[in-house]
Amino acid sequence: MEQLSEVLSAISHPTRRAIVKRLAGGPARFLDIAEPFDVALNAITKHLKMLERAGLIEREKRGREVFISLRPEALRLVANWVHEYERFWNGKLDEFAGYFKRPERSRT
Amino acid sequence: MSDAKTIEVTIERTIPASPDEVFDAWLDPKIPGTPWNMADKLLLNPIVDGFFYWAVRGTPHYGRFTAIERAARIQHTWMSPNTSGLESIVSVTFQAEGKNTLMTLVHSGLPDTDSGRSHEKGWNYFLDGFCSQLAKSGAV
Repeated sequence: MEQLSEVLSAISHPTRRAIVKRLAGGPARFLDIAEPFDVALNAITKHLKMLERAGLIEREKRGREVFISLRPEALRLVANWVHEYERFWNGKLDEFAGYFKRPERSRT
Repeated sequence: MSDAKTIEVTIERTIPASPDEVFDAWLDPKIPGTPWNMADKLLLNPIVDGFFYWAVRGTPHYGRFTAIERAARIQHTWMSPNTSGLESIVSVTFQAEGKNTLMTLVHSGLPDTDSGRSHEKGWNYFLDGFCSQLAKSGAV
């Protein structure tokens, strides 16, 4: 799956969005991330795996502890995708490309 | 303005025509889908250092052409109320791919603001709060 699709899937779940929001404040350990959620630790592990696959988080070992931090560059893909100029130019270029596909357009 | 965050958008289309045809069409206001088409008022001088002005429904857009390389590249600046005083850059390249042309449009230097982002269906949950909070935290 391309990264944009993976990022969109990753942030489609409220728990994962909450985790991203939490990590926007700085790196955290697994148990600190899991603490506010009333779900099994196993479920948090799965959510983190999805975020990691999308390139949204990374793990870093510091001594005996593993810290998880946000990699916000991946979110830029989404910000860019929904920028109004993206919509504007997509609409324009669809129309422009459509002009060349018209059967009545005579070409020599 | 020096610390303003900017982003760029890149769009590609494969057009079933030669780069010459596509290049010329892109500068022809009569062709649907060009930025100049459907303008209520249009001034267009597509030469290097030539200016354009177009307005649609009272929204003005200005720019200066910085590169005109026939059949290969068109570049111009782009200012509108949506660029918040920034001089953004639109660069369009045309590359032959067999009988077709790969057209790549890059619009860079766009202000990365909430108002610049669309509120399309399904994305309100993301944009309302989530992204702006991250932006405030400096994460995005």
